[in-house]
Amino acid sequence: MESTFYNYLKKKVLVKSEHLPLLAREVSKKMLSKGDLLLTEGQVCKNMFFVEQGLLRLYSIDEEGREHIIQFAPENWFMSERGSLYFGSPSVFFIDALEDTKAVVFDQQFVDRASEISPEYRTYNEYILQNHIRQMQKRINLLIGATAEKRYLEFIKLYPDLAMRIPQWMIASYLGITPESLSRVRRGLTQK
Amino acid sequence: MRTVEIIVPPREPHFVGDGFRVHNFIPGGYRLDMKRMDPFIMLDYNSRHYFPPSEKPRGVGVHPHRGFETVTVAYKGRVAHHDSSGGGGVIDEGDVQWMTAASGILHKEYHEENFSREGGDFQMIQLWVNLPAKYKMSEPKYQAISNGEITKHTLPDGAGTIEIIAGEYQGVKGTASTFSPVHMMNAKLEKGGSAEFSFPANFNTGLLVVEGSIKVNGGEEVPTDHFVLLENNDTDFAIQAVGEKALVLVLSGEPLNEPIAAHGPFVMNSREEIIEAIEDFNTGKFGHLED
Repeated sequence: MESTFYNYLKKKVLVKSEHLPLLAREVSKKMLSKGDLLLTEGQVCKNMFFVEQGLLRLYSIDEEGREHIIQFAPENWFMSERGSLYFGSPSVFFIDALEDTKAVVFDQQFVDRASEISPEYRTYNEYILQNHIRQMQKRINLLIGATAEKRYLEFIKLYPDLAMRIPQWMIASYLGITPESLSRVRRGLTQK
Repeated sequence: MRTVEIIVPPREPHFVGDGFRVHNFIPGGYRLDMKRMDPFIMLDYNSRHYFPPSEKPRGVGVHPHRGFETVTVAYKGRVAHHDSSGGGGVIDEGDVQWMTAASGILHKEYHEENFSREGGDFQMIQLWVNLPAKYKMSEPKYQAISNGEITKHTLPDGAGTIEIIAGEYQGVKGTASTFSPVHMMNAKLEKGGSAEFSFPANFNTGLLVVEGSIKVNGGEEVPTDHFVLLENNDTDFAIQAVGEKALVLVLSGEPLNEPIAAHGPFVMNSREEIIEAIEDFNTGKFGHLED
C-alpha cells in the first residue's frame, strides 16, 4: 500500500518514477494524539511536517496568555516554523495536533537532497514556497484591511471543511476577531 | 556520409508504475539530453521482458501531459489506455499510438486484460515528441494506427521492409501526421539485409536496435537494445543486419530550436507556463479520470 506522502510526491509533485523510491526512503512517520505538542516557543524547530491524516495548528501565545492562530494544516498540507527551521532561530510559535494525526516528518536536509535528486521536487518545492508567500501576503492584507465577513469567507475558501472540525473560538482567533463577532458574521451570512 | 557520434548502451532499468520496466535513453542517456535530441524529448524503452500472469493488469495510473506528443509503439504484448476526453483503446503488437497531449490530458496505461491474465513477453517504446510553441495549447487528439495501416516500403533484393510511421522514405509518405518535420520508421531487415536513409544534416537522428544487431555504414557492430546517435555532419547513412534478422527504430527530426522548460510530464517554453500547468492540473483543468 503506497502512503499518502508517496502518492503526493508521485501525483502532485510529479516526481519521476525513477526518483520516487530514493525520496520516499528518506522520511519518517509520526503518530500523534490530539493535544500533542510538536514544537514549543523557544525551541529550535528541526522538522517540517506533512499531514497524511489529521490536523495540525501553528500558533503563538501573547503576554496576556491569548492564543493567536497563524495557520492550520489539514490533510496534504505542510507545516513548519519556517523562521526557525531555515534560519535556526528559536521558535516564536507552537505547533500542536488538534486531532489524532499521522504526519510525515522530514528536515531541511531532506529538502536539499530531494531537490538535488529530482528537478520536479525542486520546482514544486519552490512553487509551494512562493504560493505560501502569496497566501501570507493576502492574509496580511485581509487582516489589516478587510471586513470580518470577507475574512471569514476567505477562510472557508482556503479550508473548506475546517469549520466543522474546530471550535468557533479557534476560527475567531485565526481571523483576529472575537468569538462574538464571528457569531454575528455567521448569523449575517445565513440571513443573506 | 553521416557518421556515428556515439553508441549508447541501455541504462539500468526502472519501473514506471508496475507495468513498464524501462531503460531511459532520452533525456537521461549520455549525451542524449533534450537539446541535443530536439524535437525528441523523452525515449523510454521497455526491452523484452517477461511478465508473469497477473489478474490485476499492471500499468501506470492516472497522470497528466501537456505541451508535447506521446508516441507508443508496441513490439511485444498489448497495452490498453484510457484518457480524460473519453478516449481509449488497445495498442496491439506492431501498432502505434500517436497521442497529441497539447493543452493537456489525463491518461492511464495498462497491460491489456487478456495479455495480463496470460502473461508473456512485453517490449515497447514510448517517445515524446515536442510540439512547436504555437501548437502547445492546441486541442488534444489521437492517431490510433494499427499495423495494417502503416505505410510499408519493400526493400530491393529481399532485404526487408520499412514501416513508415511518420515522415517519408524513398518518396513514400508515412501514416501519422506531425506538427513539425519528423521521420519515424521501423526498419525490418532480413539476415544481412541493408537499408539506406537520407535526412537533412541538421535533423537530429538516432537509431534504437530493437532486435538483432546491426552495423551502421559498415562500422562497429551495435547489439540489441543499444541506441546509436548519429552526427549532424551529413545526410546519408546505411544500416545492415548482422547475423540474424534485425528490427531498428529510426528517428530523425528537425530541431525546433525553442526554449524548453520541463517539469516531468509538462514540457513548455517558459517557467511561467510550467507554473500555469501545475496550477491548471491542481485545479482540475485537465479534466477527470478514475484511477
